[in-house]
Amino acid sequence: MMDFLVHNFAIREDSWILTMIIFLPAVGALMIMLPSRAANRSAGATALLCSSVTFVLTCTAMVAFYIHAPVDEFGSADYLLRHYIPWITTGETVLLDATTYPTIDIAYRVGVDGISIWLLMLSALLMPIAILSSFTGIRKRQREYYALLLLLQTGLMGVFCSLDLLLFYVFFEFTLIPLFFIVGIWGGPNRRKAANKLFIFTLAGSVLTFAGVVFLAYWSGKHLGYVTLNIQELVYLGQRGYIPTSVQIWVFLAFAAGFSVKVPLFPVHTWLPLAHTEAPTAGSVIIAGVLLKLGTYGFCRLGLAILPIAAVKLGPIFAVLAIIGIIYAALAAWVQTDVKKLVAYSSVSHLGFCMLGLFSMKIAGATGGVLYMINHGLSTGALFLIVGFVYERYHTRDINKIGGLARQMPWLAFFLVFFTLSSIGLPGLNGFVSEFLVLLGTATSGQTTDRLVEGPLGYGYAIPAALGIILGAVYMLWMCQRLLFGPLKEPPNTPDLSAGLTQDLTRREKGILMPLAICCVVLGVYPKPLLHTFEIATRQHILLETVAGYESVVDGGPFDGRPAASAVEDANRESIEVVASDDSSSPPLKRWGTRPPFGPSLERGEVGYDVLPRRGGVLPRRGGDDLDLDGGVDSIVTSFVTRGARHDD
Amino acid sequence: MDFDTLRTCALVILLAPLCAAILAGVFGPKLKGHTHWVTIGGVGTAFAFSVMLFLQVRAGHGAGFPVLIPIYDWLLAGVGKAFRVEFLVDPLTAIMLMTVTGVALLVVIYSRDYMRDHGACERGYERFFAYLALFVFAMCALVLGGNFLLLYLGWEAVGLCSYLLIGFYYDKPAAAAAAKKAFLVNRVGDFGFGLAILLIYLTFGSIEYQVVFDMVRQGLDANGHALAQGTITAIALLLFCGACGKSAQLPLHVWLPDAMEGPSPVSALIHAATMVTAGIYMIARCGAIFTASPTAMMVVAIVGATTAIFAASIALVQTDMKRILAYSTISQLGYMVLGIGVYAADSAVFHLFTHAFFKALLFLGAGSVMHAMGGIIDVRHFGGLRKVLPWTFATFLLGSLALAGVPGLSGFFSKDEIIHHALTAHPVFGAVGLVTALLTAFYTFRMVFLAFAGDEKIPEGVHAHESGGWMLFPLLVLSVGAIGAGYLGVGAKPFHHFLEPVFANTFMAANPVHGGHGAAHPSFWQAYGLMVVSGGLAALGIFAAYLLYVKQPWIAGLAKASWPGAHKAAGHKWYVDEAYDAGLVEPAKKAGRVCVGLDDYLIDGLVWLVTAVPRGLGYLLRTAQGGAVQGYGLTMVIGITVIMLVVLWNSA
Repeated sequence: MMDFLVHNFAIREDSWILTMIIFLPAVGALMIMLPSRAANRSAGATALLCSSVTFVLTCTAMVAFYIHAPVDEFGSADYLLRHYIPWITTGETVLLDATTYPTIDIAYRVGVDGISIWLLMLSALLMPIAILSSFTGIRKRQREYYALLLLLQTGLMGVFCSLDLLLFYVFFEFTLIPLFFIVGIWGGPNRRKAANKLFIFTLAGSVLTFAGVVFLAYWSGKHLGYVTLNIQELVYLGQRGYIPTSVQIWVFLAFAAGFSVKVPLFPVHTWLPLAHTEAPTAGSVIIAGVLLKLGTYGFCRLGLAILPIAAVKLGPIFAVLAIIGIIYAALAAWVQTDVKKLVAYSSVSHLGFCMLGLFSMKIAGATGGVLYMINHGLSTGALFLIVGFVYERYHTRDINKIGGLARQMPWLAFFLVFFTLSSIGLPGLNGFVSEFLVLLGTATSGQTTDRLVEGPLGYGYAIPAALGIILGAVYMLWMCQRLLFGPLKEPPNTPDLSAGLTQDLTRREKGILMPLAICCVVLGVYPKPLLHTFEIATRQHILLETVAGYESVVDGGPFDGRPAASAVEDANRESIEVVASDDSSSPPLKRWGTRPPFGPSLERGEVGYDVLPRRGGVLPRRGGDDLDLDGGVDSIVTSFVTRGARHDD
Repeated sequence: MDFDTLRTCALVILLAPLCAAILAGVFGPKLKGHTHWVTIGGVGTAFAFSVMLFLQVRAGHGAGFPVLIPIYDWLLAGVGKAFRVEFLVDPLTAIMLMTVTGVALLVVIYSRDYMRDHGACERGYERFFAYLALFVFAMCALVLGGNFLLLYLGWEAVGLCSYLLIGFYYDKPAAAAAAKKAFLVNRVGDFGFGLAILLIYLTFGSIEYQVVFDMVRQGLDANGHALAQGTITAIALLLFCGACGKSAQLPLHVWLPDAMEGPSPVSALIHAATMVTAGIYMIARCGAIFTASPTAMMVVAIVGATTAIFAASIALVQTDMKRILAYSTISQLGYMVLGIGVYAADSAVFHLFTHAFFKALLFLGAGSVMHAMGGIIDVRHFGGLRKVLPWTFATFLLGSLALAGVPGLSGFFSKDEIIHHALTAHPVFGAVGLVTALLTAFYTFRMVFLAFAGDEKIPEGVHAHESGGWMLFPLLVLSVGAIGAGYLGVGAKPFHHFLEPVFANTFMAANPVHGGHGAAHPSFWQAYGLMVVSGGLAALGIFAAYLLYVKQPWIAGLAKASWPGAHKAAGHKWYVDEAYDAGLVEPAKKAGRVCVGLDDYLIDGLVWLVTAVPRGLGYLLRTAQGGAVQGYGLTMVIGITVIMLVVLWNSA
C-alpha cells in the first residue's frame, strides 16, 4: 500500500513557475515596505507592476499547462507544473522494495490541474484590476495598503496551488491577516466592527478545519504507517473507500465548518454583507472575486474529493442550506437600500448555486459549479468596481439618494447593465452557462449518468433553486432602475471630481472594466475550452472514483463486459469495509470504483495497485490481524514505533 | 435543397443583424444621424437571405426537412455530452424568418424619420438602431435554434431587447418601470421554461428537438421505458408557462400593455408582430410534446380562449390608442393559442402571419398619429384627423378593417379558420371566438371613430402634419400585406400546404375531432355559414361603434353611467396588477425584510451568545492576570506541585 502511494504520489518535481507566481507578490510587498523615500509615492505603481508580472507569469503557466495538459478524454490525470520542497519531513521508513521514505511527509507541494489553473488565472486577473481601481480611492497609508493587497494575493495563489493539506491550510488562514487589516484600516465608518466580525467568523470556522487536518494526519499516521497530508494520496484513499465512513463524516464536518464561513453558506453568512459594505472597493472585489472561492474550492478539492462518502451522505443537508441561502439572500438583497450591501447579498445567493452544483456530484453540476466560481468572480467583481466608482463620485451608496445616472454617465450605465445581465444569467453571457449546468447537474443528480453513481440531489432541488433565478433578476433590475433610470438625482455638492475623476468613467476605469466584460462575452459564447479542462479535472481529481465502471469501455477493467448497471450497483454500495486478507490474488477491498486513476503507466497487478497490506508489511496493526480502521486511540508515535519494529522482522 | 446554401443562409441571417448591432453600437456616436443605414443594411441582408432560405425550402418541399445544421459545441455537460449551437431549418422556420426580417426591415425604415423626433435621450438615435438590430439577431436565433437551449437563448435575448427598448426613454420613470416589469414577468414564464428544459433532459437525455420529438412519438424515455403521461403533461405545461410569459397570455399578460411606453416602432415590431408570437412558435414547434398530452392541449385552448375575450373586454374602455392596440394584440394572441389548443396549428401560424401585417400597420399608424400630435396618443385629446392625416387614415382604416375581420381582408380569413376549428372542437370555444370577434370589431372602430371621425380636434400648440415618405412607405407596403396576405390561405391554401410537413405528424395526426386524418374538410354550409356569421358580427361591431361614438354618443355615456363598476374595473384592467402587488410583491418584500431582521438580530445574536462563552471565561481569567508577579509565582508553584503529584501518582 505504502509503496504504491509513495511511488505514485510522492512525486518530486521542481517546476519553479508556480512558486514564483505565489511568492512574487510577497516579494513585491517587501519591496514596497522597504524604507525608501520613493516607495511612498510609487507604492501603487510598484504593486501594479508586481501583480502584472504575476499575471504574465500565470499566463505563461497557463500556456505551459495547456501544452502538457491531457487533451484526450481519458488522458493522464496528473497535476502539472509541480514543485516539491521538503518541509516537515522527518524520520525514515523502509519500503518493501528497500527504498526509504520520510515518516512524516508534510511538504511544500504545489501543482495545478484544470480547475486550479483557471482559479489562479482569475486571481491573477483580478488583482491588478483591484490595485488599479484603488489609485483614486485610497489616499492614506498607501504603502501598507498595497503591500497588504500583494500579501493577500500570495495567500490566494497559494491556496489554489497547494497539493498538501497543511500548506493549503496555512495559505487559507494567511489570507485572513491582510484582509483583516485592509477592511479594518481602509474601510468605511463601521470598519472595526466589520473587521472583527470577519475575523471571528472566519477563525472560528477554520479552527475546526485545522482540527480536521490534524485528525487526517493522525489517521494517516496510524493506518498508513507514515504521516501524509499529500492531497493526491488522500484523494486516492478517500475515493477508494480506505477512509471509513465515520471518519469521513467527522472530518467533512470539520472542513465544512471553515469552508462554509468562507463560501458563505447560510446561516454563517452574516459577516459578508458587513465586510463588503465596509471594505474599500479593492477589498470587496477580492473578497467577492476570489476569497469566497476559497470556501467552494475547499469543498470541491478537499470535501468532495477526499471525503466522497461523507459528501454524498451530507449532500442533502448542504444543498438545502445552499437553497435556503439562494432564496433568503435574494429576498434580503431586494430590500437593501445600500447598493453595495445589495451586491453582497447577491453574492451569498450566487454562491449557493455554486455549492448546489458541487454537491450534485455530477460532472455537469461540478463543472458548472467551478465555472460559477470564475463567472461570479468576473461579474460580481465588476459590479463592486462599478459601485465603487459611483461611491467615489457621490460619497454615498444609498439607492434613495442617487438616481438617473444613465444620462450623465452612459458608460457607467452600459457597464452596470451589462454586468447585471451577466450576473442574472442572460444566455450568451457567462453567468448563464454555469447557472444552467448547475441546475442541470442538480436535476440529474439522482441519475447514473456518466457512469457516476447517483448523487444525493434531484429534480426537487432544482425547482426552488430555479426560483432564485427570478429573484436574482428582480433585485438586480430593481437596482439598475433606481440607479440609472428616471430623473437625475444627486446628493448636494456632487459629483466630487477632486481626485481627478471625470463625470462619466475615466479611461482608467473603462480600461478596468473592459477586460472583464470581454471575458464575460467569451465565456458565454464559447466556454468549451474551460469546460473541457474542468471536465477532465473533475473526473480525475474530484469525482474520480465515484466514476464507476469506466474501464468497461476504456481499458478492459473488471467491469468489462458487465452491464453498467451492475458496476454502478457495486460502486454504490454504501458501507465500504476494508478487510485485509492473505490471499493477494483476489482484491480484498470493496471500493467505489476500480479504475487505476493515476496514469496509464500503472497497470493492474503491478506493485502497488490492488496489492494488499501484507502481513508483516508496513501497515501498522493493533491487536488482531485485521486492519482496524475505526480502531481505538493509538497515538501516532506508538504506531511509528510499532511499524519500525515490525519492519525489522 | 443544398445543405451548404442553407448553412450559409442561416449564418448570414444571424450574423448580419448582429454585426449591424455591434457596428451601430460602436460607431454610432460617430455616425450619428446616419446610423440607420447600418441597421437597414444588416436587416435588409437578413431579409434577403431569409427569402433565399424560403425559396430553398420551397424548392425542396417535403424532402429532407427538417435539416439540422450544427455549428459548434457550446456547453459540455459531462462525458461526451455537448449542447451544440445548431440550427433547424424547416417550413415553419422559413415562414417565421421571412415574417420577422420583413416586418423588421419595414419598421427600421419607418424609424428613420420617427426616431429623429422621438430619440429624446442621450445618443437616442444610435442606441435605438443598435437595439433594433440586436433584436432581429435575437429573434432569428430563437427561430433558427435547433434545440431547446438555443430556443431559450433567443427567448431571453429577445426579452433583453424588449427590456432595453421599452425602457428606451429611460428618464421617464414609467418607461423604466415598464421595462423592468416586462423582463420580470417574462422571467416568471422562463422559470417554467427552464424547468421544462431540465425535465426534458432528465427524461430524454437530450435537448435536441428531433431526438426529443422522436422519442415522444415513440413514447419512450432515455432508458427505454414507457413514457409516463404525467411527465409529458408536466413538460408541456411548463413549456406553456414560458409561452404564456412571452405571448402575454393570462395570467402573465400584465407586461404587454405597459410595454407601450417604448417607442411606437418597437411596439409594432416587438410587441405586435414578432417577439410576442414566440410563444405561438414554441408551441407549434413542440407540437409532438403538446399533442402527446390531451390535458395540456385542453389547458392551452382554455387559456387562449379566456385571454382572447378577457383582453378584448379591457380594450373596450381604454383611451390610449397604443394600449387599445396592445390589448387587441393580447386578444389576437389568445386566438392563436386557442387555435393551437384545438389542434389547428397551421391556422394559428397563418393568423400569426396575417396579424403581423395588420397589427404592425396599426401600430405604425398609431405612431404616425402620435408623431403628428406631438407625442399625444390619448384619443380623448384629438379627433377628426382624417383630413389632416389622409394617408395615415387610409392605411389605418385598412388595418382596422383587417383586424375587425371584415370579409375580403387578411384578418378575416385567418380568424375565421381558427373560429371554425374552435367550433368543431367545442361549442364553447367557438362561442368565445365569435363573441371576441364582435368585441374586436367594436373596440377597433371605437378607436378609429374617436381618432379620425367627427370634428377636427387637435391639442393646443401642436403643428399637425402628415408624415414623410420614410414613414408612409412602410405603411403602404404593410397595407398591401393586410389586404393580400389572407389570400395565401384560401382556395388551394398554399400557406397551409407549405406548413403541412411540419404539423402532419403532430397536430394533424393527433386531432381528435377529425379522427387523426389531417385537416378538416368542412361542408359548404359549415364553411360559408360561418363566414357569413363572423362577417355579420364584424359589421355589427363596426355599426355599434359607429352608433355609439359618431351618431349617438350619449348612448356610450349612458352605458358608462349604467355600469360604473364594470367600466371602472375594466378600466383598471380587472385589477390584475393590483392583485399581483398585494399577493406576491409585497409579501415577498416583507419576507425580505424579515430575512434582513433575522440576519441582524437572530443570527448575529446567536453568534454573540457563542462568543459570550470565551468572553466570559476571559473576564474570569482576567482577574488572574493582575500583573502582580507574586501571584504568577504562586500559581506556578501550585501548578508544578500538582503536575509532580500526578506524575508520581501514575508511576506508583
